[in-house]
Amino acid sequence: MRLNLILYIILFLFAIATVNSEHQYRNNYSRLDIEKKTTLELRDEKTKLEVEESDKSGNLRIQTIALEKLKMYVPNKKEVKVIK
Amino acid sequence: MINTRKKQTEFFELSKLRRRFVLIMLLSLFLVLFSRAIYLQGMEKDFLQKEAENRSDRTVKLHAYRGKIIDRNNNVFAVSTPIQVITANPSIFKASVKKRKKLARLLSLSRKDLERRVQKKKKEVFLNRELSPEKAAQVMALKIPGVISNKKYKRFYPAKEVAAHLVGFTGIDGYGLEGIELHSNELLAGNPGYKKILKTRSGRIVDDLQDVKIPRDGQDIQLSIDKRLQYTAYRALEKAVEKHAAISGSAILLDAKTGEILAMTNYPSYNPNTKGKSIDFIRNRVVTDIFEPGSTIKPISVSAALESKSIKPHNIIDTSAGYYKVGRSLVRDTHNHGKISVTEVIQKSSNIGAIIIGENVKPKYLWNTLNNFGIGKKTGVRFPGEVRGKLKHYKNWRKTDHASATFGYGMSTSLIQLAYSYTVFANQGNIKGVSILKTKGPTPGRRVISRKTSDAMLSMLESVVKDGTAEHAKVNGYRVAGKTGTSKKLGPDGKYEDKYIGSFVGIAPVSNPKFVIAVMIDTPSIESYYGGPVAGPVFSKLMTEALKIYSIPQDNFIEADELKREGKPDSII
Repeated sequence: MRLNLILYIILFLFAIATVNSEHQYRNNYSRLDIEKKTTLELRDEKTKLEVEESDKSGNLRIQTIALEKLKMYVPNKKEVKVIK
Repeated sequence: MINTRKKQTEFFELSKLRRRFVLIMLLSLFLVLFSRAIYLQGMEKDFLQKEAENRSDRTVKLHAYRGKIIDRNNNVFAVSTPIQVITANPSIFKASVKKRKKLARLLSLSRKDLERRVQKKKKEVFLNRELSPEKAAQVMALKIPGVISNKKYKRFYPAKEVAAHLVGFTGIDGYGLEGIELHSNELLAGNPGYKKILKTRSGRIVDDLQDVKIPRDGQDIQLSIDKRLQYTAYRALEKAVEKHAAISGSAILLDAKTGEILAMTNYPSYNPNTKGKSIDFIRNRVVTDIFEPGSTIKPISVSAALESKSIKPHNIIDTSAGYYKVGRSLVRDTHNHGKISVTEVIQKSSNIGAIIIGENVKPKYLWNTLNNFGIGKKTGVRFPGEVRGKLKHYKNWRKTDHASATFGYGMSTSLIQLAYSYTVFANQGNIKGVSILKTKGPTPGRRVISRKTSDAMLSMLESVVKDGTAEHAKVNGYRVAGKTGTSKKLGPDGKYEDKYIGSFVGIAPVSNPKFVIAVMIDTPSIESYYGGPVAGPVFSKLMTEALKIYSIPQDNFIEADELKREGKPDSII
């Protein structure tokens, strides 16, 4: 009788532990899924920034700024100094 | 006493009745439950299991991210960016006038158009197929019932027209249709996957039941192209085509040591980001279009003569009269050059000189040399639509075919083939394989001619730029070698028309060749149609930029004649 009672208690404890571990697993899996989604969102953000960088460093934009805003030009021969 | 016993008997009799009633009730209840359980487990098992799976289990497609196309310095040429597709279910769409106004503005639709769409008797209508994630978030913040936002990826090409022919574009299904997008589609696309998951009622994924197929993201493709040079080439071509009112222009820049393509462009071009691309501008003419190369072939035929030892560079060729009869055809030079050396044949681009030199070379030898230079063969770049060109086999040559092969007629090449063939002169007689992908340092070449012949040819080609037909191709501070070409175009009836293709292929710096550039201008009609004045300036501009960007030491910092003309620099430190 006593042995049966002990076995019942052990069975009950294992059942509780199983339910708990399944719950923990699902919770962790859900968090992992959220992290994966965050990774994708960060990748999209990185892509967006790369495109923006590419746009800002566009040759035409740089050329326009150099010529019009910074008044840059190719030096003529008389302005060239030769370093030996 | 008797009375008490009677009461007890009545109580037990009543209790027995109650007990039976309760027992019957419990048994009935158990029977109901048991029969229900049998019904659910036995009769409706499959249906109920399917319904449960439908509610909790989902097979989801796992998107494979398409790889980027980047240049040799990691600048983006093509990238997949997220966009939102906004749809609405008209049957449950409900919004106030104020929200409708705001929604229409965010979707870039007129109120009338929005109303027309949401009044359709359909389950789903598209409101905007390409909305930015920021605007889509604003749309969803309106919390209008029936409005749904789904994320998708769209290919974006930041370089627009400048690299359109090179990079190509994808179709609606994301499959590469042109250029590198097609060339490397399998690598770029990757493989989508599928996964079976368990969801809660709120939509939270709580378990991964089965990986049906693991997804594989596409790889990034790093091209050998340098974005800065690509841009310079495009702008220089644009200027030349506009200036000479030409149909089109093409240019290719090769790294002479590695065979890498640093720039490859055409003008006019198209914007790959927009819909409705004109079919006329989609071809990458550098690899898909063939033309008779004309005089740019002369260095190859003269190389064959030098290799076969039938002539020497200082030999004198008599081109007097200015015309020469080959079979029934009459070949002319632009001027009567008289008696000239082999070097001058190249320098002055004499057709008669080339024929006389070529006559001493056996057809088989000349054909083999042309073939070894890559004429009539694909370069191996494996670019979509690359053509082989045409070079008739020497066994089928008539006398005129042999003669015309010496000055670049009766055959056809693509511009990439021409640039490829000139890597021989830039590498002391070795031809370098062409690559559109970035390589790791110099690649082994294949010997085509001896170093002695190659050096002699490079010297002759230098004289073309220095004192010959290509003064427009000069680059300040550097020694340049090259050859102009001006060939007549064949009309649809197979006869030559009064339309020309002006081309130039050059190498710099001559002291240690680093770059090979080939330029072709199709049908220039204003100012000039000769290869020197129309294609030479494009070469000069592009080569100047390439030498500057890659910090190539100058052959002569300032040439002597420039010093005389403009005075010495202010100071020498």
